[in-house]
Amino acid sequence: MPDGAGRARVAGLLRLGGWAGGELVAAVPLLAGLAVWELAGWMLGFRFLPPFSRVLATAVGMIAGGELMAPLGASLLSLAAGYLPAAGLGVTLGLLMGRSRGLEFVLSPYLNAFMATPRIALVPILYIVLGLNRAVQAVVVFLGAFFVIVWSTMRGVRSADRDHVEMARAFGATKRQVMWKILLPSALPLTLAGLRLGIGQAIRAMIAAEMFIAVFGLGALLRTYGGRFDAERLLAVLLVVVAVALVCALAAARLDRHLTAWSRTPR
Amino acid sequence: MITIESARVRFASTEGGAPMVALADVSLTIARGEFLCILGPSGCGKTTLLKAMMGLVPLDSGQIRIGSHAVTGPGADRAMVFQNYALLPWADVTANIAFGLELRGASREECARQAAHWIKAVGLGGFEHHLPRQLSGGMQQRVGLARALAVEPEILLMDEPFGAVDAQTRRLLQEDLLDLMQRSGKTVVFVTHSMEEAVLLGDRVALMSPRPGRVREVIEVGLTRPRTASVEREPRFTELKEYLWERLRAMRDEAADA
Ligand SMILES: Nc1ncnc2c1ncn2[C@@H]1O[C@H](COP(=O)(O)OP(=O)(O)O)[C@@H](O)[C@H]1O
Ligand SMILES: [Mg+2]
Repeated sequence: MPDGAGRARVAGLLRLGGWAGGELVAAVPLLAGLAVWELAGWMLGFRFLPPFSRVLATAVGMIAGGELMAPLGASLLSLAAGYLPAAGLGVTLGLLMGRSRGLEFVLSPYLNAFMATPRIALVPILYIVLGLNRAVQAVVVFLGAFFVIVWSTMRGVRSADRDHVEMARAFGATKRQVMWKILLPSALPLTLAGLRLGIGQAIRAMIAAEMFIAVFGLGALLRTYGGRFDAERLLAVLLVVVAVALVCALAAARLDRHLTAWSRTPR
Repeated sequence: MITIESARVRFASTEGGAPMVALADVSLTIARGEFLCILGPSGCGKTTLLKAMMGLVPLDSGQIRIGSHAVTGPGADRAMVFQNYALLPWADVTANIAFGLELRGASREECARQAAHWIKAVGLGGFEHHLPRQLSGGMQQRVGLARALAVEPEILLMDEPFGAVDAQTRRLLQEDLLDLMQRSGKTVVFVTHSMEEAVLLGDRVALMSPRPGRVREVIEVGLTRPRTASVEREPRFTELKEYLWERLRAMRDEAADA
């Protein structure tokens, strides 16, 4: 695979140069993209494509000036308030469905239907039912993350090796012990994948809900600046959204690497 | 003593046809402290018989007793070594070996102490914190054996434990098993499809034939104990091996004629 070989060579060169760590290497394609953006910004001179450095400066200015803090705080709060219950309940329900064919049979049509429904379509209904308040954001975040977490966890439990279950039973494991000591660890790689996908879904759902009503959070800011055709500020806010998403993804990747090293084939 | 009385096991066939008879009327008695080998071609129900003794596969009729207790499920008096090792890929050697103890609620210290003891006994010193995938097949099965021995069972059930390793490794594992078991007084039921292995290890050899799975004959090995691999040079060893080969070939011809 020339692609992989090329990446390995780049990594090797960076390591030779005394750079440590895979994360820097992973950042190379991203930095290249930013460089292209920067160049295009300067050379094309489009009003709607300010150079990256200007957007970054604007974002820093907005954070320093405090105008971003309240919306960012509101968004992070609803993200946490929606995502954490989605993770807890999603993993629990996924484990139960993975263990019980009956439960899977009853619930999976709903699961599939919800995964296919654009959660954004539910936003107006939720505002009507719950009123114009922040709980709606949390609920939308919850709905964005929940189903993919349930599904991945269920598939994870189903991926457990029958021989491991049989071995545990031979050594006298109770149903509970089979759950905790075999099914749960077997499900871990797919569960963590679900939790990672869920974060991305949650952030998208959150921004969509905030944009819809334009009262709370980063989404509201996006709508305001979009309405004013203020590309610099619009992109600055988006940059912050992407930064939040990247931090979440990196944290999740760390956790994943730490917990499921056993499941990766050695290279 | 293990008593197997007219054990029958059928599996529903996948196509919904007539059920597959894995064990048809198997009767067998295994004395306390005996090393019994079960020999037969693949598909004759060796694994099914072993799992029935373990209490993992229920009988359709008949009975298996350990002493005077009927087997209804797994029990602390028995432990199994699996054909494909069945090690937990996320657990290191120590944790895999201590798995049975952990299930029984042994403390962390107790698990560590027992694991350390058995790691030494099966010759895995230095690999305490390796994951299964970092070990060769032979070493993985040493872990499987240590895990079974660590729960101190009276009866050890082994399902073609050395079937998937190379010839030299297999030889070493056989010698180490002889060494470990001959003084232990444990009852061992050892499934194999190798005639040499059956004669080298067993006090008796039960010959099984397929379709439907049944025990055709039980042969007294009669080689002296303690044994080492050097028994392979005794005339009795060669004679028995020849005899078993004749019988297996006859079974195959029967099957071809049917
Ligand atoms: N869980 C099962 N479901 C259906 N058929 C099975 C099952 N386990 C074993 N069998 C069938 O029963 C027969 C005996 O299998 P097994 O005991 O594994 O034989 P052996 O260990 O001697 O190779 C085989 O024909 C096999 O296909
Ligand atoms: Mg078998």
